[in-house]
Amino acid sequence: MTRHSLLAAAQSNDPATRSWAIEAIAAAYWRPVYKYVRMKWNIAPEDAADFTQEFFTRLLEKEFLDSYDSGKGRLRTFLRTCADRLFMNQTRNSKRLKRGVGSAHLCLDFMEAEKEVATELLSGSPEDSFDKEWVRSIFVLGLARLQASCESGGKLIQFELFERYDLEDADPKPSYAQLATEFGLATTDVTNYLAFARREFRRCVLDQLREMTTSEEEFRREAQALFGVKVT
Amino acid sequence: MKSLPDRVVARLQADMQRPDLSGTRYNLLRYVACGGMGSVWLAEDTVLKRRVALKVLDLAGPADDLDVRLLREARILASLEHPGIVPVHDAGTLADGRAFCCMKYVEGQTLAQHIATLNLPDRLGLLERIAEPLDFAHARGFIHRDLKPDNVMIGAFGEVLVMDWGLAKVGVTSLEAGETEIATAAQPTQNSLRVTGQGSVLGTRGYMSPEQARGDIEVDHRTDIFSLGAILTFMLTGSAPGELPAASGSVPRPLRAICEKAMAADPNARYQSAREMTADITHYLNGEPVSAYPEGLLERSGRVFARHRTAVVLVAVYLIMRVLFILFARR
Amino acid sequence: MNKVLLGLLLGAILGAIDGMTAWFTPEARAEIAGIVIGSTIKGIIAGILIGVFARKVHSLALGIVFGLGVGLLLAFIVAQMQHGYYFQIMLPGGMVGLIVGYATQRYGRGPKLQQT
Repeated sequence: MTRHSLLAAAQSNDPATRSWAIEAIAAAYWRPVYKYVRMKWNIAPEDAADFTQEFFTRLLEKEFLDSYDSGKGRLRTFLRTCADRLFMNQTRNSKRLKRGVGSAHLCLDFMEAEKEVATELLSGSPEDSFDKEWVRSIFVLGLARLQASCESGGKLIQFELFERYDLEDADPKPSYAQLATEFGLATTDVTNYLAFARREFRRCVLDQLREMTTSEEEFRREAQALFGVKVT
Repeated sequence: MKSLPDRVVARLQADMQRPDLSGTRYNLLRYVACGGMGSVWLAEDTVLKRRVALKVLDLAGPADDLDVRLLREARILASLEHPGIVPVHDAGTLADGRAFCCMKYVEGQTLAQHIATLNLPDRLGLLERIAEPLDFAHARGFIHRDLKPDNVMIGAFGEVLVMDWGLAKVGVTSLEAGETEIATAAQPTQNSLRVTGQGSVLGTRGYMSPEQARGDIEVDHRTDIFSLGAILTFMLTGSAPGELPAASGSVPRPLRAICEKAMAADPNARYQSAREMTADITHYLNGEPVSAYPEGLLERSGRVFARHRTAVVLVAVYLIMRVLFILFARR
Repeated sequence: MNKVLLGLLLGAILGAIDGMTAWFTPEARAEIAGIVIGSTIKGIIAGILIGVFARKVHSLALGIVFGLGVGLLLAFIVAQMQHGYYFQIMLPGGMVGLIVGYATQRYGRGPKLQQT
């Protein structure tokens, strides 16, 4: 996938292409949007879920994305502003907007997102939460890519090691020697396989990010945000 | 796919930033700092068994030609061997495709942290030592272009090091015969010239000369003289130029004049070399007249008295004693 | 100016001033020429000694102590020759030595500084 292609696809006139692109954007942004509206306006989980579905339906209807100018700001900021605007419009009109006829209903796991909100409501601003969720989503999508890449490349053991060592929230973490015994490998192999998996994970995440950004400058800035680097 | 807990996200973020040193002679020790183009890490050189600083770009590939800039910086540092310029040991590309540059690890403080405990003469002495490597670089045709307190490190043993030559440029005015080759070596491609040579504004506000802020292509070493003046202002007032103009009231007039001359809007009105500027500072420290400041008779007398205070007092005591003897002799 | 020459000149000038002030003592006025010449020579000798010392020893405190000592010693010899006026001769003499001692340490070119 080349730069601009995802956004261009989302702005395409072909409904199938547009639907595919919006689903890809929704995969990265539904959780940030859901948590953002839950935290910022303190609305009920069902309303937040409805709002999130409606937000991405609106995107599918080309209502918002056509006005996006990549030269003026980041897609991430634009989508958050769009969420604000949509919510304000809805509040002003005092009614929920109807979903577009024939639009696909996205299959999103609001239950799990709601569980996370319960622990986060007291900490951080809604904007911080939006950014944090965006990072989480990009990592989740990057992981999916890594898994697919490892499966197709016959490197499943590398992925499993990575999953076991880097993705499990165990404390203390298993040692390389323990992993070597567990997987029937030499310790040096564990080191090398994990190095490979981390390198590939980084590549997958950056590839994912590249698709979600519209310029090299935006990509660079978003990558630094993703790494948690404060850009000076 | 399932969502990730916060702790795992934080760990993955750290993993993303951490350079992949597999296949190199370095072992990662810890994170040191980050900047606009990358991060700095403390590592161990496993061959020479010493600690080094690794400057690693955040991203692989030619994003904004940052990899070219990093290589340029490494080559410039390699061609500037001076005790006041941080030495470079190695440069290249890591397994994850990111460009890196390996430099001496300087343990110490930035200028801003260091000067808090210094008195005025020590601060001025420090500025002279910052100017030395700069003068050296200028003599070889290099312009730093991003001189600021954050880019000056004071080592644990008091050594002064000018860091971050990432925006350095090869000048055209002061190259001497035989040194052209060094300058050319630091210009690997046309791209590197484009990075810093086509009117793009690079530098740090407050410490950047007006011509550099305008994006003039023809900036020369006098842009660093401006920055040196700005650093002197910072060292005297504790604030960057323009931030707190009222704070300059306590600065002695000759020093204020030195700052003003160094930071003149017209490069021709500035000191024409770092050495010329430090000569004025040395004059000030020695109680001698400063070229930037035409003093009146009263100020001149005051300065001479202050410079030779003990001698003047001794002679005065002698003369008073003599007068008293004469008065007693007349009785 | 090197330290010995500086000591010599300072010693000569201060010694001459020392001598000339004798004019204000009526009983010494008749011998004023001899007193000025003698005092100048005394100042020159003290200045040279102190200047040579300053070339060898780079210490302000020692220079001052040495100057004071030389000044007092020479003044004492003169006072002995005069059979009196110890206070009037030794105090200024010591003072001159002290000033020359300070000046030769603080100012004047040392032999090694030329090489840097």
